[in-house]
Amino acid sequence: MADARFAVGDRVRTRAVDPPHHTRLPRYACGQVGEVVEVQGSWILADDRAQRVAEPRVETVYTVRFRAEELWGPPAGHLVQVELWESYLEEAG
Amino acid sequence: MARVNDVGGQTGFGPLRIEPDEPPFHADWEARVYALNVAMLRRGAYDLDRFRDAIERMPPEEYLAASYYERWLHAIETLTADG
Repeated sequence: MADARFAVGDRVRTRAVDPPHHTRLPRYACGQVGEVVEVQGSWILADDRAQRVAEPRVETVYTVRFRAEELWGPPAGHLVQVELWESYLEEAG
Repeated sequence: MARVNDVGGQTGFGPLRIEPDEPPFHADWEARVYALNVAMLRRGAYDLDRFRDAIERMPPEEYLAASYYERWLHAIETLTADG
């Protein structure tokens, strides 16, 4: 069981660089700031499993909420939630 | 480097086509591909992350031209050929 670095309500920024392998961070959510709305427990990192890493990392997964207008411009009014592993995230401050 | 499947937010694909009373499979071969993938996953031949990775590694023009279960079949073939 991995310790959770983030908590509900934290503002987080997703990493900006696309990796050259399978990942579960979609392009539209790269380098974006969102809010943690749920902590989803610990899961084996998909990136590592896809690459057959011998000892894949186990990390906390978070539901992160973004404003659609921040991802794609106006109109405002709806939210996008993505479930993201901890290594995809940094503190946004 | 984002892959061809990573199309969220991209325009140009047109509106979603909703099929009323859509069956789970549009042909018998699709059901067989589905069953084959379930059997392979349960046998531990590969996992879901490697399966998704195999789909994402399709040549972009093939990926975009393929149907959903055609992509599944491509991934099964790729992973069994890889060994």
